[in-house]
Amino acid sequence: MIKLKNVTKYFRVGFFGIKKDAVKNLSLNIDKGKITGFFGPNGAGKSTTIKMIVGLIHPSSGSVEINGYDSQDYRARLNLGYLPENPSFPRGIKGIDIVKYYSKLLNKKIDKNSINEVLKLAGIFYARNIHVHKYSKGMTQRLALAVSILGDPEILIFDEPLSGLDPIGRKEFKDIIFKLKEKKKTIFFSSHVLADSKELCDKIAVLVGGRLIKDESISVLEEDAYNYLQTKTNDTDVTENGAEMSDYNTPLEVYLYDLMLKNKRN
Amino acid sequence: MKNILYTAIYSFNEIKNSKIFYSFLVFALVLIFGSYFVSQTSFISQGRIMVDFSIFAITIFNIFIGIFIGSSIVYDDIEKKSIFLSITRPVKRTEYLIGRFMGLTAAIIFSTIIMMFIFYLVLLIMHKYVIPFPIRSVGRAPLHTKTFLTLYLLPQSLLIQALFIIIESVFIAVVALFFSLITSKALASIFTILVFFIGNVSSRMNTLVMPAKKIINGKEIIVHRANYVLTAAVHLIYSVLPNFSIFNISSEVSYKISISSEAILYGIIYGLSYTILLFVISSLLFARRDIS
Ligand SMILES: Nc1ncnc2c1ncn2[C@@H]1O[C@H](COP(=O)(O)OP(=O)(O)OP(=O)(O)O)[C@@H](O)[C@H]1O
Ligand SMILES: [Mg+2]
Repeated sequence: MIKLKNVTKYFRVGFFGIKKDAVKNLSLNIDKGKITGFFGPNGAGKSTTIKMIVGLIHPSSGSVEINGYDSQDYRARLNLGYLPENPSFPRGIKGIDIVKYYSKLLNKKIDKNSINEVLKLAGIFYARNIHVHKYSKGMTQRLALAVSILGDPEILIFDEPLSGLDPIGRKEFKDIIFKLKEKKKTIFFSSHVLADSKELCDKIAVLVGGRLIKDESISVLEEDAYNYLQTKTNDTDVTENGAEMSDYNTPLEVYLYDLMLKNKRN
Repeated sequence: MKNILYTAIYSFNEIKNSKIFYSFLVFALVLIFGSYFVSQTSFISQGRIMVDFSIFAITIFNIFIGIFIGSSIVYDDIEKKSIFLSITRPVKRTEYLIGRFMGLTAAIIFSTIIMMFIFYLVLLIMHKYVIPFPIRSVGRAPLHTKTFLTLYLLPQSLLIQALFIIIESVFIAVVALFFSLITSKALASIFTILVFFIGNVSSRMNTLVMPAKKIINGKEIIVHRANYVLTAAVHLIYSVLPNFSIFNISSEVSYKISISSEAILYGIIYGLSYTILLFVISSLLFARRDIS
């Protein structure tokens, strides 16, 4: 269980160190054993929030707790796997050695079999003996995914896991998520691909401009979306703003799109 | 402990595979071989020229490794974002930092040993500065003892110089690491080079600004006094910045003077305490830092 309570994060930018809010007064509970999707436009603060959860960034105020431990405490990460956005690895080391190294940093014993297993699951087993700087973006992404699911952690935090993957890769990744879901893992992943929402998530959180504007279960959201579309089609100036039904296939996607657009304007 | 060890091994491998480490190592080896030819230009004291030249090469290239890898070992890891996966494991940030630094220390020791070994081979070929140490079979009658193996040892001062080079380079590396946590990599290297340079001349500067005294008729008389401001500034720099000249014992080495155990101990304690202090400060800075 992950609890964010009134979390605000500002960065100091420029020569004079002017404060710029990236996340504003965010309170969010990530439920155990559920998949929570974290959506929002570019620069909304998704990665910043995720980095605060995994302890890379300190919140300016408020608190982040994982299983009762503050996110700065290493014990908060005893059972956590993290896939960063645009992952990268040091040069000159083979894929397999990278995974071996990270397996040593876990407080668990991990044997050769389970290392091979995660490599196979992530679909990078064939390239395990290649130096990682020769990997393509998608291959690096897959290797990082293998690292993050190493040791079968209970909590998985993925920052834009689908970016950089080919259609087959996306499908494979979704299958991995479904497998993890069967094992009752807690999964929190960010994305801006709205089509991922319904397929994968139990819950959806929407962040725009550093503010949480929605945090609901899929069923509630679908109902809202349905109602929204009812009123929307009655409106006259549909085409002026808002999404076209042709761009987005489901009412939920249209609803989320319009929600982000509306809040971005304000 | 386990985390530190694995991080150290990993960092060591990373450094060992890096181009910058190789090039410094190769440069140093070329210079050590080159010292043989340099010494041939002189008719006298060829050995001394060789020793001076080679110690200079070994020192400067290990210092370079300390500066350039020290300022990038954590900085690049943050910049390239490869740190994201390591410190989000159940590892303390301090463990990560110690591991990284230990890996660099191992690399410095490794390169010093290789350079010293090559240097030893060159000395062996030239038959200079090596001390023959015959191993004899012990027979009853003295006439029957036979030398069946002669080992060639290096003089004590040369071995101590190697130790001091390691301590000095590790010290420089922690300075570079410290600067790299508060500024950019390029600035960190420049600052470290400055600290190193000043640290090498500060003790000489300090003696220069001391009042010049003469003893006339049994009385001490000050004949010249430098500008007060200048004196104070030099004293301040001398006492605040580390003094690196104590690690340079190449003149003792070239004259084959043994180093006293006090001097050895002083060098070790001086270097280690400064290194640990700076490392603790770096570690505190690093723990509070946002990594993004
Ligand atoms: N280290 C930093 N220093 C200054 N500003 C930062 C820093 N990191 C993020 N920001 C700012 O915080 C805001 C949120 O950034 P963040 O990376 O969290 O967005 P995001 O939702 O992940 O976007 P994207 O979908 O593009 O990945 C942005 O305005 C960004 O400029
Ligand atoms: Mg992001």
